[in-house]
Amino acid sequence: MAADPKDTEFINQLLNGDKNALYLLYDKYSGALYGVILRMCREEDLAKDLLQESFIKIWQKIGSYDPEKGKFYTWAYRIAKNTTLNALRKSTPLIQTEDLSVYENKNTDLEVTDYSNLNGILAELEPQHQQAIDLVYFKGLTHQEAHKEMNVPLGSFKSYIRQALMKMRERRSELSLLVLLTQVFGNG
Amino acid sequence: MDKKKILEDGLLEQYLLGELSDEQEILIQKVLKEDADLRSIFEGLEEEFEKIAFENAILPPDSVKKALRKAIETSGENTKVKDISSPKKNDTFNYGRLAVAASFAAIFALSSFWFYNRWQTAEDNLKALQEQTIALQDRLSNLEQSFEITNERYQTINNRNVIPLLLKGNTIFPESRAVAYVNHATKIVMVNSQGLPPLEEDKTYQMWADVDGVMINMGLLPPDRDLIPLKYIDRAESFNITIEPAGGNDHPTVENLISNVLL
Repeated sequence: MAADPKDTEFINQLLNGDKNALYLLYDKYSGALYGVILRMCREEDLAKDLLQESFIKIWQKIGSYDPEKGKFYTWAYRIAKNTTLNALRKSTPLIQTEDLSVYENKNTDLEVTDYSNLNGILAELEPQHQQAIDLVYFKGLTHQEAHKEMNVPLGSFKSYIRQALMKMRERRSELSLLVLLTQVFGNG
Repeated sequence: MDKKKILEDGLLEQYLLGELSDEQEILIQKVLKEDADLRSIFEGLEEEFEKIAFENAILPPDSVKKALRKAIETSGENTKVKDISSPKKNDTFNYGRLAVAASFAAIFALSSFWFYNRWQTAEDNLKALQEQTIALQDRLSNLEQSFEITNERYQTINNRNVIPLLLKGNTIFPESRAVAYVNHATKIVMVNSQGLPPLEEDKTYQMWADVDGVMINMGLLPPDRDLIPLKYIDRAESFNITIEPAGGNDHPTVENLISNVLL
């Protein structure tokens, strides 16, 4: 698989036990992963712990990373996502009420910062396309869970994902062309 | 697997997101190795998702990197996440300790169950032993009683003061035999009636002592008994056995005399 030459270098150093390589990978990818983790758990303190835990796992498990199977970021994303989902499964507290039933403690009284805002080209998509990507990528839902969440058939949901990715690629091409034209005419 | 199906089912996206089962993952990895087109599409997906992530990146606080550095530098590979969040997380549930506690609880529960079973088995064994002991004690008591009776009887007849007297049958019952044991010192008479022939239900043997020509009742003699205690009569000159109606008679029926012996 195509990989960033810098990443390959860092990963090789990491395999040789070079801790600095881990910090360089952290500098490059921590923002992207923190964005995913924070949107998934929506709690800063927990997200900080989970980001740290994810990089410790990257440090410990780098030997199992196979560049042939995908990019480093894809592998790191999966580690961060699984670490977060596991933590959320463990930490959902249940509170017993007087009628002996239980409800999830959502801390509704606390003011929670909204991390759900999406940026970049994704934010330009139609709402259903945005939501589909948001659910599987930033909320950690599976396709099976996400189509129910959106209340659309699984087939339609898969189409949303495909269309969203296609539109984003098209939009990027348009932007690249625009930048090129601006440079050409700007210089001319 | 069909390439069109892989694309339509969104399997590449699901593979990227880590949603597939182990079997499906292996399958997709194999297909990606063999099919350059699909590999190119997958690389495009990786690029796109990575761009989305970077466009939506959030800068983490410096404290995370510091904590990561500290954790890596101090503990090497066996690193645990150091809690860098606010103090309220200090009361986070300790699953490690819970696991240890649960293990101890499980061991305790299993060993308790094992000991309980052993205890129950021991209780059952003890109960059975107690029952056996009681049964043996009963048997021993019966044997002792039986021995005492036998010994008493033996002592009664095996004594130098005892005179054994054989009462042979006359012409009515020539085969009949009875043995009387007389102890004049202790004034006891015992009779072994095993040699007397059986009688009809409405008849019985009765024994008499002759004192100065008068027959005095000594008691009934049921046949087939080893030792029957009878009444000792002073100055008896002979013992006589007659056949009488069941329940005995006040006076002997002389024509039914079957045996007698002089003292």
